[in-house]
Amino acid sequence: MMNSELLRKEIGRCVVCGTCRSVCPTTRVLNRETSCARGKLTLIGALSNGEIQMSEEYVRHIKECALCGACKDSCPNGVDTVGAFVAARAEIVAKQGLPFAAQMILKALIDPGGLKGTAIKIAGALQGLFLKDASAEAGLVSRFSLPVIGGGRLLPPLAKQTFLEMSRVKTLAVPIAQGTSVKKVAFYAGCGVNYLMPQVGSATLDVLERAGVAICVPPEQVCCGMPAYSMGDKDTARAMALKNLEAFEAYDVDYITTSCATCGHGLKKLFKELLSDDPALSRRVSAFSAKVRDITELLTNELGFIGKAGAKAAEEKVTVTYHDPCHLNRAQGIRREPRALLANAPSLSYKEMRFPCSCCGLGGGLSTTNYDLSIEISRRKAESIALSGAQVVATACPGCIVQLRDALHRYGVDAKVAHVVELL
Amino acid sequence: MLIDAVKKELQRIVGVEHASFSKEALLCYAYDATNIRKMPDAVVFPKNAEEVSLILKMANAERFPVVPRGAGSGFTGGSVPVDGGVVLSTERMREIHSIDEANLTATVAPGVITWELQQEVEKRGLFYPPDPTSLNFSTIGGNIAENAGGPRAVKYGVTRDYVLGLEVVLPTGEIINTGVKTAKGVVGYDLTRLIVGSEGTLGVVTKAVLRLIPLPESTRTLLAVFPELADAASAVSGIIKARITPSTLEIVDSISIRCVEEYANVGLPKAGSFLIIEVDGTVEGTSKEADEVRRVCLENRASSVDEAVDKKEARNLWKARRAISASLFRIKPNKINEDVVVPRSEIPALVSGISGIAQRRGLLIACFGHAGDGNIHVNIMYDGKDAKESEVAHETVGEVFKLTLSLGGTISGEHGVGITKAPYLAMELGSDAISLMKRIKANFDPNGILNPGKVFAGGHSR
Repeated sequence: MMNSELLRKEIGRCVVCGTCRSVCPTTRVLNRETSCARGKLTLIGALSNGEIQMSEEYVRHIKECALCGACKDSCPNGVDTVGAFVAARAEIVAKQGLPFAAQMILKALIDPGGLKGTAIKIAGALQGLFLKDASAEAGLVSRFSLPVIGGGRLLPPLAKQTFLEMSRVKTLAVPIAQGTSVKKVAFYAGCGVNYLMPQVGSATLDVLERAGVAICVPPEQVCCGMPAYSMGDKDTARAMALKNLEAFEAYDVDYITTSCATCGHGLKKLFKELLSDDPALSRRVSAFSAKVRDITELLTNELGFIGKAGAKAAEEKVTVTYHDPCHLNRAQGIRREPRALLANAPSLSYKEMRFPCSCCGLGGGLSTTNYDLSIEISRRKAESIALSGAQVVATACPGCIVQLRDALHRYGVDAKVAHVVELL
Repeated sequence: MLIDAVKKELQRIVGVEHASFSKEALLCYAYDATNIRKMPDAVVFPKNAEEVSLILKMANAERFPVVPRGAGSGFTGGSVPVDGGVVLSTERMREIHSIDEANLTATVAPGVITWELQQEVEKRGLFYPPDPTSLNFSTIGGNIAENAGGPRAVKYGVTRDYVLGLEVVLPTGEIINTGVKTAKGVVGYDLTRLIVGSEGTLGVVTKAVLRLIPLPESTRTLLAVFPELADAASAVSGIIKARITPSTLEIVDSISIRCVEEYANVGLPKAGSFLIIEVDGTVEGTSKEADEVRRVCLENRASSVDEAVDKKEARNLWKARRAISASLFRIKPNKINEDVVVPRSEIPALVSGISGIAQRRGLLIACFGHAGDGNIHVNIMYDGKDAKESEVAHETVGEVFKLTLSLGGTISGEHGVGITKAPYLAMELGSDAISLMKRIKANFDPNGILNPGKVFAGGHSR
């Protein structure tokens, strides 16, 4: 994370050309200079010069951001806007702390399966009192406007049995036998898969089995730390990175894979940053990160999955489109792989949507800190999906799946949302 | 400073949530793409001409400056509130009111983003050609105020050529309509053309009727690489002489190539210069013209001429082209960005003259731009922390302008005068012309409240 001197330097490199205005999903909705990167960097600079205080308005503008990285991607001068925003958020947390609920959740996530105890209790109460079934596929809708949830919001129910508790997964909780001749792959589930969509985890294991690899799922794994990091809680994020590093080092594998774009970014890049303060750790984390692959990347580039037998068959082809998660597309540069998997699946007919790379609006904690803005950002996505005529929108990130389901429900678009691996 | 009563009244006019006085908001409306920063006292977001009118009437009564602002993408400080006052943002006026396919016009609000209008009309097989490099974020209102041009000007002209009529709020608050909704119209003085390019000093445009044309059926995009800038410049003359009118004809020098390749990574060749050439029209026509362009380039020592195989490749090329201006900061932290124009036949003389100046002054000067219409962006790079270099860079501006004028050119093709070029106005315009312009301004704006300190040297027209 940038220290204050680096941060000031980075801000100085912004020449306020305005290019970021054209790509920012937040600015598209809010239509204000204060919401684009050029404005935010101006504010961060003003705070560091003492021109302004860390006011409520300052904090609001800094948080009006999904950390999608579109501004960083488009900046002709290569300013690390996302790095600056995360550093600014960290300053806010250092001064003001995190909201109590966020603290509780992050604390729980430091332990394997740690969310289970607290969350199930809360969720049980919520689901009974405030939520009603929308449809089996979609999830639950809040009946009332709640401070943390907002009215009419579609939420995924917490899984009755987490991914790591599934009996199939428990059998994989051991190191892979030495001397096996096939590739050895460890699966990192991540919180989205573990607590909300174990079925995505199962589907991932299915495709890995079809790809003919030996699989293990280390049960010691914990949250990747990305939520803590993007909220500005670097210490918690670092503790999580270290736990995961130690967990996976105990399993001798060729690859570590995940079906969550955000976790993948965390495992590949964030861990290195967080653990770079210690040279010994730094070396270990480099070896770890070099093995990490997104599941679509692993299947396409390492395992030669396309064309392998056992693909789902269908009497009639299903039209599918693909939404690029920011953490896969912009953060990891993976665009071709998921499309190749979908386009080559015998049961699918692939159709590109307009603006596939525009953010769904969930990221950067925006869906909890400013739900109205977050769901308004997703409107354009819902429109693009509707316009594509696709029956299914595929993506590769549990977070995006949650947001897209909510958006399609809200804007009345009749399409299902699935992870790429569920369709192969 | 605005008194509380004025602030209250501004809130009443536009709504509490659409008037900001906080330091946070004001800091973000203090600049444009020149990075010159002057704090306003308020920023307001009116929704329509009536609200703009009320604001301007109050500005006359209370004597505070009002500075219109679109996306803040200007290169001459046109929307920078040099005297403080109220920044009037058009960010809430974003409606495309109508697209008339029978009469080929579009009626739009000033805050509409140029690219978004183009997307909408192109869906209908229509075309709005003006394409300033900032078109992805600049607004129609800003384009009109600056009379923005772009690469396509070589064939299609500039913003002025597509404005049929305007709804304008005068500095004194009256709402007038200028021009027509028809293809022709000669009743009275041409106020539309006076407002277009007046840099927000004569009125606030609140609605524009724009002319559209049919979208060409085919576009071919070529990239021609040359060992020297001079070769590319003579190829430009060659293309014009061959009686081809490309839809764009862009020149890029080696400094620009280096900077932008670092950003865009599109595999641009390391070369002395290249041209991006587009021809559009019918399939047969463009095919013939593309062959002809290729021939002329090769005759002028082009080392290669490649064509973009699909829209994506062409788009990547344009993405790189549009990023040049900002990516130049990779070599020096500061720059002076001029947009001189010379008659097209004088482009070789201009580029060799500038390279001479750069050598003599010991400066890096990057040249790129719309060679097809003689409009070259001359970017004098310097380090603002180096007092000597900074001084030399600023002295060089006058020299570049002198060269331009001696070749029969003009000191600004599309950026306008604003504050950065105001000191040089008299180099190009006679004192009688300047004095007439000042009288026009005084007639429109007797109290000097609308965008003061712009266009005319000495700044303050109040």
